[in-house]
Amino acid sequence: MKKRMAALMLTMAMAAAPVSAYAADASQTLSVAVTAEVKTLVQWAASEEQASLVNNQAQEGLFRMDENNQPQPALCDTYDVSDDKLTYTFHLRDGIQWSNGDPVKAGDFVFSWLKQMSAEATNGYSFIMNDYIVNGQEYSEGTVEADEVGVKAVDDQTLEVQLKNPTPYFTNLCTMAMFFPVNEEFYNSVGDQYGLTPDNMVYCGPYVITEYDPAVGVTLAKNDNYWDKDNVKIENAKVRVMKDASAAYNAYQSGELSQVELDSTNVAANKDNPEFSQTVDFRTTYLQFNLTDDVVGNVNMRQAISHAIDRNALTEFVLADGSVPGNGLVADGMSGDGEKTFRELNGDIAVYDVDEAKKYYDEALKELGEVKSLTVLVGDDSVSKSVATFLQSELSKNLGLTVEIDTKTMQGRGEQMDANNYQMGVTAWGADYDDAMTYLDLWTNGTPYRGNYVDEEYNSLIADAKTQTDDTKRLDDMLQAEKKLVAEDAVVSPIYHKGSATLTKSNVKNLITHPIGVPMEFKYAYFE
Amino acid sequence: MNNEMIKDSMFVKAEVAADEKEHIAAPASGMITDAWARLRKNKAAVVSLFILIAIILLAILAPIFSKYDFAFTDYSNVYSTPTKGHIFGCDQFGRDLWTRVWMGTRISLMIALVAAVLDLVVGVLYGAVSALLGGRVDAIMQRIIEILVGIPSLIIVILFLMAFPAGVGTIIAALSITGWVNMARLVRAEILKLKNQEFVMASHVLGSNNLYIIMKDLIPNTVGIIVIQVMFTIPSAIFTEAFLSFIGIGLAEPQASLGVLINGGYQVLQNYPHVLICPAIVIVLIMVCFSILGDGLRDALDPQMRK
Amino acid sequence: MVKYVLKRLGYILVTLWIIITCTFFLMKNLPGTPFDAERFSIMTPAQQEKVLEMYGLNDPVPVQYVKYIGNMLRGDLGTSFTYVNQDVAKVIGSRLGPSALIGLQAVLIGLALGLILGVLAAWKHNSGIDYFTMILAVLGVSMPNFVAAALLQYFIGLKWGVLPIAFWTSWSCSILPSIALSFSATAQVARFMRTEMLDVLDQDYIVTARAKGISQAKVLMKHAVKNSIIPVVTVLGPIVVNLLTGSLAVENIFSIPGIGSLFVDCIKANDYPVIMGITIFYAAFYMLIVLLVDVVYSLIDPRIRLARGKEN
Repeated sequence: MKKRMAALMLTMAMAAAPVSAYAADASQTLSVAVTAEVKTLVQWAASEEQASLVNNQAQEGLFRMDENNQPQPALCDTYDVSDDKLTYTFHLRDGIQWSNGDPVKAGDFVFSWLKQMSAEATNGYSFIMNDYIVNGQEYSEGTVEADEVGVKAVDDQTLEVQLKNPTPYFTNLCTMAMFFPVNEEFYNSVGDQYGLTPDNMVYCGPYVITEYDPAVGVTLAKNDNYWDKDNVKIENAKVRVMKDASAAYNAYQSGELSQVELDSTNVAANKDNPEFSQTVDFRTTYLQFNLTDDVVGNVNMRQAISHAIDRNALTEFVLADGSVPGNGLVADGMSGDGEKTFRELNGDIAVYDVDEAKKYYDEALKELGEVKSLTVLVGDDSVSKSVATFLQSELSKNLGLTVEIDTKTMQGRGEQMDANNYQMGVTAWGADYDDAMTYLDLWTNGTPYRGNYVDEEYNSLIADAKTQTDDTKRLDDMLQAEKKLVAEDAVVSPIYHKGSATLTKSNVKNLITHPIGVPMEFKYAYFE
Repeated sequence: MNNEMIKDSMFVKAEVAADEKEHIAAPASGMITDAWARLRKNKAAVVSLFILIAIILLAILAPIFSKYDFAFTDYSNVYSTPTKGHIFGCDQFGRDLWTRVWMGTRISLMIALVAAVLDLVVGVLYGAVSALLGGRVDAIMQRIIEILVGIPSLIIVILFLMAFPAGVGTIIAALSITGWVNMARLVRAEILKLKNQEFVMASHVLGSNNLYIIMKDLIPNTVGIIVIQVMFTIPSAIFTEAFLSFIGIGLAEPQASLGVLINGGYQVLQNYPHVLICPAIVIVLIMVCFSILGDGLRDALDPQMRK
Repeated sequence: MVKYVLKRLGYILVTLWIIITCTFFLMKNLPGTPFDAERFSIMTPAQQEKVLEMYGLNDPVPVQYVKYIGNMLRGDLGTSFTYVNQDVAKVIGSRLGPSALIGLQAVLIGLALGLILGVLAAWKHNSGIDYFTMILAVLGVSMPNFVAAALLQYFIGLKWGVLPIAFWTSWSCSILPSIALSFSATAQVARFMRTEMLDVLDQDYIVTARAKGISQAKVLMKHAVKNSIIPVVTVLGPIVVNLLTGSLAVENIFSIPGIGSLFVDCIKANDYPVIMGITIFYAAFYMLIVLLVDVVYSLIDPRIRLARGKEN
């Protein structure tokens, strides 16, 4: 202990001398900010967006998303799908290399995927493989061996994947950071020190990491061993941790950042700025009702509440950050039949209608008797609190219903919902992949977190969609399921889809952002 | 005892007037009346006192007589700057800031009061007892302080939050843990310095008990430090409360304190500075008045200043 | 004196053990697990159990406690849950430097400025400088440091462009945050110094010293300041501890990799090993500073006797 303390003091003394490594020419370095620390870069331990952002520049999977959010072959050259749509065979590109010169082998994929499927995956994302890949779930629970799992290296350049069900979006999944390969040999040589320093990682993406400090950020330089290096224009890039939104805005104005995300008060001031742009993420914030509660267990009460929320006023006046009204659960812009989006196909199924709300409310009161007040559980971030305050004022104005706000830390809120100790909770879900199933699958297990919703019809729709080989029928199942969940049973009341408003320096071109999965692509960006 | 030898009848009660018993040349005056007489002569302190009273009255009355309820939202007035209807402008939800600032002042003053009382009662007594008794008692009392400070209060606060409903009560509980510690240490240090001085020894020799010495000899001589420490405790309590509300314990919307309003205003500082400035002015005004009044009180209460 | 200090160091070890024990058991009652609540809830029970087992969270809490103490005595504070596989001592060590540098500078600014202002204010009682000090002190305490930080960043960093806006790349980055943090320290030191000086300047020995014809400056420096500094030393202890162990808001505004934000983050994320590591460091640091303050008392004021003769 004494020794450790001494070591601690020594590191303190050394760290007290500030490092001066960030002195590169700012105008030629692409610099973006993330709002939270990059606590880990180990892909099966990281669940946060910022880790995914960094890994997507330094690593690469079988596919990479293009500007239309469609997967394009990356490390994989071509691929075949069997007729039953259950077997995918990926052929890797010739001559692809890790940054240390090792060839990227099919076995590197098998290695990292098995890690992600195993209990070692502490990011909570093992479902993203286990739900699809044969024997994944069994492997994670330790009942089968690795060689029985449906992912195999046929040879160094061929990867074969066995799926449980036809999954039309499987190649979309392959663009996610969890599906990137990890150099098995290198990993074994550094062991649990993997990913802690730039030297303890090897890279197969457009950039390599040259500096990494969880609380400061990451410095990237172009990867000379990257197969497509001729198309990577920007030599140096930085991902900087800036937790304070106004500080980031100041840094952007002073030229320290190439791009900044605006908070609501700065959006209005910048609407006419030519550097301004706005996108909607695939992320829905919704009100989860607890169906076992005496009051909101009543479907009319839930309908009343859902109809009493003026979602337009919320996004326009309170959030004012480019978010759009949540008139359905599945986020705006998520794919439907290939021509129309899912949202366009299913229409507005959660709408603001005070008269309707009052009718439902009277009906509910008849059935329930007197209702004194309701409690809404929210996390402790400022946006959740704003949403709760808005709900409170809407329900009071439109229904005369008193709502108490119960603010808890994120962990506290989660635990309370898991313990079935809530009436309604403000929750959000960000799509993991561009398919409605990423939302709809959540309400099939009947847990308290999902409001204890157990409905045979709903479950059979989802089960059918999962095994359906006919894409039209599959889509139809999901459209019906969303209607059932939101419009008929009002298990959840969608509130808004998160938008992001950004300023980008005018000399930075083609810096692509995705509403889903990996947040950003440096690969295609260039300076003008 | 042989009571028969000495009888009550042998004694005659002396006729001494009550006020002659402890005859002192100067006219006797209590500490409080004495102090008040001197405070009245200090113009700045009197003005501060009146401003503080005005602020208290506004905090009580303004929300009652305001056209707007502090929770009333109006989305056509989001972040509106001060106008005739809304003297302080509006916040993110178009709520009237005039009403909210005074509602917030109510809560903040209440928290300030609790913090001050904690400081004065727990902090001062704890420090005084610890210093005066010394030895083992002092050692144990100081270790208790170290333990209270050493356990991260945020953990305790989150546990409070799980166990009790959020509100002013929880805030007070959270403040009580360590809010008085600095006062206790300050008073202890001062009394360690004073306790070996002649007047304390004299008091001991005259047979005063410890409580008497603390109350009559020691505390009056540390009053300057006490007043200033209270002045520092109050804003720190107000902002601790704001921090607690920020992380979820404490006040739930739509309630707000000055600290919470300042926290909210800070986030929109660049575009809507009035949201920060209005509550900030009130808090600075309270602090300025309290500080001048506190200085006046110090001069009035400190026995060494009696001239 | 040496005996007294050794005895106090012994106390510190015992107190530290009590703090560690209390914190450990309290911490285990924090809501949730170290893992993202939503993601954790969708794992199957078998997976949940495996994950908990990996982090040694399956054992009963008293067993975990005994294991922790055992490892700690061997000098192993464990590895962080959120900074995956990072050694706790390393995580804390890397964040201590920036906080300590900024805190130290803030303390020095606060102490120097506060002492000067306090002495001048008392010397020139009821003059312009006295009122200026009072107003500065009031502003210093009633303006939260995050507002000061935001204003400094906006005006000095962005508008005038004199100093870096944020980040941690060179020494100049530490100036603005140090100033932002120093306000309340300046205010406290100035106020306590002024009050105590006013008291001391009235004392007989000062009058005597003046009567003996000692110069004004010498009276101030030799007699008044030394005898007024006890309360400043007392408040300085906690100020030093608080400033050197970081401030969440100021660190966030200036993007400084400090320990203040680490602590709050880890408590909110239930990163038990890091919580314990910081607690041990913070508590030990606090107690050492308190000890130092107590020793300083007796050095500057012979009337305060630490060992207290036969009472002990």
